Amino acid sequence: MSSATATLRISLRSLAAHKRRLAGTFTAILLGVSFLTGTLVLGDTLRGSFDTLFADANRGTDAVVRSADVMDTENTFGGVRAPVDLALADQLRQVPGVAAAEPAIQGSGQLIGKNGKAVGGQGPPTLAGYWQPDSGLNPYRLAEGRAPQQPGEAVINRGAAKAGELKIGDSTILRAPDPVSVTIVGIATFGASADGMGQNTYTGLTLADAERYLTPKGQGQATSIQFRASGGVSQQELVTALTAKLPAGLEAVTGTKVSEEATAQVSSRFLTMFTTLLLVFAGIALLVATFTIHNTFAIVVAQRTRENALLRALGAARGQVLGATLAEAVVVGLAASAAGVLGGIGIAAGLTSLFKVIGFSLPTGSLVIGAVSVALPLLVGTVTAVGSAVAPAVRAGRTAPLAAMRAVAVDGAADGRAGRVRWTAGALLVAAGVAATVVGATDGPSVGLTAGGAVATLLGVVVLGPVFATFVVRLLGAPLPRLRGMPGVLAQRNATRNPKRTAATASALMVGVTVVSLFTVFGASIKATMDDTVSRTFAGDLAISTGGFRAGALSPKLADAVAGLPEVRQSVGLGRGVARVDGHGRTLDVTDPTRLAGIVDLGRVDGSLQLGTDGLAVSRSEAEKQGWQVGTTVPVRFSDGAEAPFTVKALYQGSELAGDYLVTREAWAPHKGQDSDSLVAVALKDGVSLSAGKAAVTAAAVPFGDPKVQTRAEYAKDSASVVDIMLSVVYALLALAVLIALLGIANTLTLAVHERTRELGLLRAVGQTRSQLRAMVRWESVLVAMFGTIGGLGLGSFLGWALVRAADTEGTGSFAVPPLQLSVVLVAGLVAGAVAGLRPARRAARLDILRAIAAG
Amino acid sequence: MTTIPVLELVETDRMAARVADAVKVYGVGRTEVRALDHVTVGFPAGRLTAIMGPSGSGKSTLLHCAAGLDRLTAGTAMIGDTELENLNDRRLTLLRRERIGFVFQSFNLVPVLTARENITLPVDLAGGEVDREWVETLIDAVGLRDRLEHRPTELSGGQQQRVALARALAGRPEVVFADEPTGNLDSRTGAEVLELMRRAVDEMGQTVVMVTHDPTAAGYADEVLFLADGRLVDRMERPTPAGVLDRMKDFDRAPAAALGGAGS
Repeated sequence: MSSATATLRISLRSLAAHKRRLAGTFTAILLGVSFLTGTLVLGDTLRGSFDTLFADANRGTDAVVRSADVMDTENTFGGVRAPVDLALADQLRQVPGVAAAEPAIQGSGQLIGKNGKAVGGQGPPTLAGYWQPDSGLNPYRLAEGRAPQQPGEAVINRGAAKAGELKIGDSTILRAPDPVSVTIVGIATFGASADGMGQNTYTGLTLADAERYLTPKGQGQATSIQFRASGGVSQQELVTALTAKLPAGLEAVTGTKVSEEATAQVSSRFLTMFTTLLLVFAGIALLVATFTIHNTFAIVVAQRTRENALLRALGAARGQVLGATLAEAVVVGLAASAAGVLGGIGIAAGLTSLFKVIGFSLPTGSLVIGAVSVALPLLVGTVTAVGSAVAPAVRAGRTAPLAAMRAVAVDGAADGRAGRVRWTAGALLVAAGVAATVVGATDGPSVGLTAGGAVATLLGVVVLGPVFATFVVRLLGAPLPRLRGMPGVLAQRNATRNPKRTAATASALMVGVTVVSLFTVFGASIKATMDDTVSRTFAGDLAISTGGFRAGALSPKLADAVAGLPEVRQSVGLGRGVARVDGHGRTLDVTDPTRLAGIVDLGRVDGSLQLGTDGLAVSRSEAEKQGWQVGTTVPVRFSDGAEAPFTVKALYQGSELAGDYLVTREAWAPHKGQDSDSLVAVALKDGVSLSAGKAAVTAAAVPFGDPKVQTRAEYAKDSASVVDIMLSVVYALLALAVLIALLGIANTLTLAVHERTRELGLLRAVGQTRSQLRAMVRWESVLVAMFGTIGGLGLGSFLGWALVRAADTEGTGSFAVPPLQLSVVLVAGLVAGAVAGLRPARRAARLDILRAIAAG
Repeated sequence: MTTIPVLELVETDRMAARVADAVKVYGVGRTEVRALDHVTVGFPAGRLTAIMGPSGSGKSTLLHCAAGLDRLTAGTAMIGDTELENLNDRRLTLLRRERIGFVFQSFNLVPVLTARENITLPVDLAGGEVDREWVETLIDAVGLRDRLEHRPTELSGGQQQRVALARALAGRPEVVFADEPTGNLDSRTGAEVLELMRRAVDEMGQTVVMVTHDPTAAGYADEVLFLADGRLVDRMERPTPAGVLDRMKDFDRAPAAALGGAGS
């Protein structure tokens, strides 16, 4: 007991005495844990907000009757269900326990604001539906004006009214996606007071209008039927009563279940991806932090050799010295983690209010701080600190009682038995890692194998770091003596004097830079691939879209309207539909395949593109995967429940523009939902200039809600801009890891400066000026940063190549190394290294010569 | 002894370095320590001067202030004709590397540099041309030709001090200040280093000022200055170790007198 208290007392005392030394460790953990906590709290908060949102949307709804069959693909949210018979509402209203029954009709409808631009842009869903008169079932409340009564009248939510500067009495266009003229007669709130359901826009129409514009047949159909129960009837009792009366193919579910499903959908589709992404980056930040922490403790233990030797000589057991160091790590880890948890909650709170301010498409509510969000980061932070300190603590415990009073600790990373073990282990890891990465990237390809190989390679490089540190830093620093004279020589030598330390410091930065360059290369390759896809396969001159790569909805009449222009040789629209092909949910491209072939390069086409109403064209890779050939017949089940045999009539080269399945409009029409195109490709007549053609098409497209008309080059660039957004997000997330790595460099240098006090004093005495001393420390910092940055660039580019190849199952993707961006990373790494060295350099220069000479 | 003899400077000799009316005070109020109490002394060029005194006598402080490593509280310190008080940190640093050589008791060498690099360090810091011939002469004089590419950790204590002496002389400084240069050495290696310093003065015309507490070391000097309680209390021309030892014994026997004098 008392020995434990003695150990703890020693730890606390040395902590108090060397607060500054552990400041770096503290900060590293604090940042990493903040990130982790922020992510968890934000995830819970968003999940809670969606939960509330969907519960509010279904508050008055006790039961819903809908088609039982749901068709699900990667691209659809919530799956696609066939519509139900509108008359069912009247029949089921008679069921005992039903207080109210109303058809619900929902679809997409984009409002055009006062400035002629679509309200809501590319962000949150833009919805339109039937304005249910039953205030219990309708989640919206009229705030101003009245409900729609005549055709063409509409209620819009207050958020949309504000954003589009629309008011009661205004007439505007609703893209449904065929343009519909509407007059605004009412402004509604979501629930009692919210401007809208999250950031969604909503347009409420009369039943007749909703049927006409939002249902496939235009009459007699509804998305679902909603019910309110009489007093004393539970949701479950109502569902049971309804189920007994339902025709085949329909199901009744409780209102609670519907909102739970919606929340689960958002969670699994969006939130899980969002939080997983953030967690990965929090993990990278913490991984980088472990290097910093390990380094700090290793240096502190080395500097404390005499102290520990004295303790051992006075009778402290090995375990006690080890325990004292570990206890220090526990205290620092716990304190920093606790601060980090608070910081993380602050970050989450800040981000939540930021979302509100910038109108980000996420609903926001009050912070949800779960027990896990607090306990997990605390645990992870502390374990990270202690885990990183284990090896140094063991070394501290091994201090011989009569440890030499060496002036400076030296380590022998690259020689002796330990060096050989390091060599062998590192080389084996790198060899195995590179082999697995290359095989995974080229032969297969397999993302799993590549990822495993990448991790092994990274590990191996970290293990080999100390072996190469001396050689690499000497090489990188070769021009320094000529550039900076003696301070340059000293900087170079100092950077190589503790290879383990230099390597660990640089490794932290290397991990960060590796991920940065991996994403840079990956992103550039995706852009190149998109660019290539468009320029290789898109033989047309103009593309009409709502912006983005086949996102948004265009009127299906647009293609024909444009085709009629004198400047246009041909135009073809591509729509997207969902069907179950041979039992699997698939996205079909609905188009005129023969016209499409004239504008989009389908490569070699086997068979005939005259598909008729019972034919499919399938991309060659998909056909291979499914084992189909021209002539194979497969069952296709549409979302309206109809099923028919379709024959594969043609095989073609798939691409981003033309997906894996093509069907004709004629085949699709009987089963269509709300009909829309996502892209209209236009080829101009010979002799028509691009600008003249573009002007004519733009003018023709105005009545259709003014979609984007772009030349091929503009379209390619626009499509690729999504990648830039993704990259900026990734860079922002990685900034923290890189910051921690730089703090690590600064920290290691500060400790080194402290350790070299006497040497610095000597240098000053024999004539090194303060600015020379500062330059010396700064250049050492730059060299370490350069080591990490260049290692990271090389490794990241290699792994980026591997990932691009591994992910490219078609073998059609491009690989691009963007020299400009990578140079920016290099320069940024060096500048950051110089900045990291500023403070230690200043501290070193402030050193009092006499005290330095007299020290020890 | 009730009065401290006021010593006239030998104005006929050219002074490589000197301090006049030098006062150095550490701390304030009750913790105030007067390390130098109105000391005036010159170090003639071309001679080996030793400064002796018991612990706390101010001998190291005198050396540090005269060498521009520390600043006086009052009075002046000069190297040649340059007053150190007027120099900023940068000028002082440049002066040290161009006009002064240093040998410390321990930790004299930069661990990451080889013996040869340590020798030319001040010249290299100045970015100047190394006088090769002179450096080669020094290397032979200190007898380290076969250890030139070794790092300090691979050298013995005596070898390290010889490298330090070679470095101190490499720039042909106006004066070399040595702070207990043999303090960490056994008597034989210490004697080698002292012989070398003697030769530097006699054969190379250098000026050396050395702080020591070892009468044997003081015996190598041309003159010994005795300090006690921050004051110059005596000097001895052409000292012998025995004579110095006798003089030191006086200090041990009469510390109260010296203390009384300093305090009044």
